[in-house]
Amino acid sequence: MNLPPAVLDLRVTPVDSRPVRIWLPLFLLWPFVLVLAILTLVLTILADVVLAVLGQPYHRYTILVAHSLAALSETRGMVIRVNDKKAAVDMTVQ
Amino acid sequence: MGEDRSRILNMLAEGKISAEEAERLLDALDSRGAAAGAPAEPAIKGDPAPLLEALPKFLYVKVESANGDNVDVKIPIALVRSGLKLTSLIPPQAMDQINSSMSEHGMSIDFSNLKPEDIDELVQALREMEISVDSTNGDKVRVYCA
Repeated sequence: MNLPPAVLDLRVTPVDSRPVRIWLPLFLLWPFVLVLAILTLVLTILADVVLAVLGQPYHRYTILVAHSLAALSETRGMVIRVNDKKAAVDMTVQ
Repeated sequence: MGEDRSRILNMLAEGKISAEEAERLLDALDSRGAAAGAPAEPAIKGDPAPLLEALPKFLYVKVESANGDNVDVKIPIALVRSGLKLTSLIPPQAMDQINSSMSEHGMSIDFSNLKPEDIDELVQALREMEISVDSTNGDKVRVYCA
């Protein structure tokens, strides 16, 4: 498992106007995401225990949330480039 | 024997042979060694990092339309694997909705049939996949791993 994405670099280059670059430091959000993830995992563990005690067949919400966070971390290195006649959009997750 | 093995691994690292071919050659080498009564050796000696580096890490989707619009997407294969694993964990009620919504849009794929143990095999097959479409109106689509 990788670290979560640290930077989102978005460049929009219109043909007839100035280019725009947005550099989002996602690493500043890591502490908030960590707290949110811990709270969510505590809630899902409780929910899973209750569902298991009630005999529900599906009680895997904790694993689902953990895998969702892992998938979010794997977005590092993703690049999306779209060019048309009006503009070019370039998004990089680092 | 050891030289043969390292030669095969070097060829794989240099990209001269595919992972599948390397596996076949190593199996053949192992069976030859077993037949000769040689002691079993580990499949990979030393640092496996060069081998892992040689494996494709990204899935590329490139679309070039005849009127000049281009789309270029680079997706980490680890993300594809994580996404596939997620599909096997989605609650059944949500999965039913996803399946019905996809079939309404012409994609009759039942993700509930996707088992976690099949995912690694699927991702391995994906690494060797290449799709190339050239339409008559000049649009080109390429999907490959590198």
